[in-house]
Amino acid sequence: MAGFADLNVPQGPDKKGLQSLLEAAARLGYSAVALNHVIDFKEKKQEIAKPVSPSELFPSLPIVQGTSKQLKVLTRLTLVVSDPSHCNLLRSTSSNIRLYDIIAVFPKTEKLFHIACTTLDVDLVCINVTEKLPFYFRRPPVNMAIDRGIYFELLYTPAIKDSTMRRYTISNAISLMQICKGKNIVISSAAERPLELRGPYDVANLGLLFGLSESEAKAAVSTNCRATILHGETRKSACGVVYTVKKLRKVEEEETVPASKKAKTQA
Amino acid sequence: MARAEPPPATFERRVLRSAAGHHYLRVRLELPDGGARPNAAQLKQLVVAALKELHGEVGAALPVDVLTYEEKTLSAILRVVSSGFVKLWSALTLLGFYQNRRCAFRVLQTSPFLLALSGNSRELVLD
Repeated sequence: MAGFADLNVPQGPDKKGLQSLLEAAARLGYSAVALNHVIDFKEKKQEIAKPVSPSELFPSLPIVQGTSKQLKVLTRLTLVVSDPSHCNLLRSTSSNIRLYDIIAVFPKTEKLFHIACTTLDVDLVCINVTEKLPFYFRRPPVNMAIDRGIYFELLYTPAIKDSTMRRYTISNAISLMQICKGKNIVISSAAERPLELRGPYDVANLGLLFGLSESEAKAAVSTNCRATILHGETRKSACGVVYTVKKLRKVEEEETVPASKKAKTQA
Repeated sequence: MARAEPPPATFERRVLRSAAGHHYLRVRLELPDGGARPNAAQLKQLVVAALKELHGEVGAALPVDVLTYEEKTLSAILRVVSSGFVKLWSALTLLGFYQNRRCAFRVLQTSPFLLALSGNSRELVLD
């Protein structure tokens, strides 16, 4: 079974807080955690720094409860895009973006959602849970995203903090489920404190509230997260594929008469 | 000589889906230190309030019982009708505050049989 993963842990400047968060995640049973770095383009132009390697930040990673392996910590970048020009950064090949393990995009308009699902090279598309969606989901871009292997991410920590957010989370999740039929969903926290984290089975139960089936809900915390991580790895490694096909040698070539002789006999 | 064949063995298979009427949950309330700890009645009130917040009056009317409660470790065993199991679990998951203090409900074990809650392999310490 794929290990449980929490793909959204905001990376704040407080190192001790992050360490306690990682320990709580390991105690709850998560095998992998992704530290999220959010870039918002509406603010003045920010430089995308190279991701800090987790082994530098945390000298000793906690051991996942129930196994003897250490917690796996990945780096993730989320781009909040509200304008098509912001996406140009993703298309440029020489930037620090390539160094992150997972890339996510947070579209704010319908056109950007369509672009993110069909052409952008990302692993996750974040779905807004803190306010009413300004656009309705349509089937064609969602189906194209599912074919390309892009996953939709839902957060659950805003639902813990505020009751209005709860309504928005559940209503946005239900409208997404109606279109995508429960495929390609990832549920993650955006926990800033260890008390805002929930165990993986609790989160899978939340998936049932959103309208997923039991197996889809568990996959949203385990299998789909692993698929996202692998999708990010393939993005880092492969630019193109070359494959060779064995060409069958034509046996007829030896039997045909050379052209010069043929002309003489016919003439 | 004809040998009497024993009659072919017959068996009947019965599958009972969700035959148990109740589901049992072992939960632990995680409260950061400092401040009064809830007693059993306050815990029941907290559970009902969580259900009301998420599922409304109908959710709050769900038959939930607190079977045991240890105030020292803040762990309890809850019983709920099987039809309301998902509602209770999701309400406990999304509960964030107790008396304006941040808290979290950790669901340790769930089972349709109370006997299964007596042992927890996750807390097993091997020497």
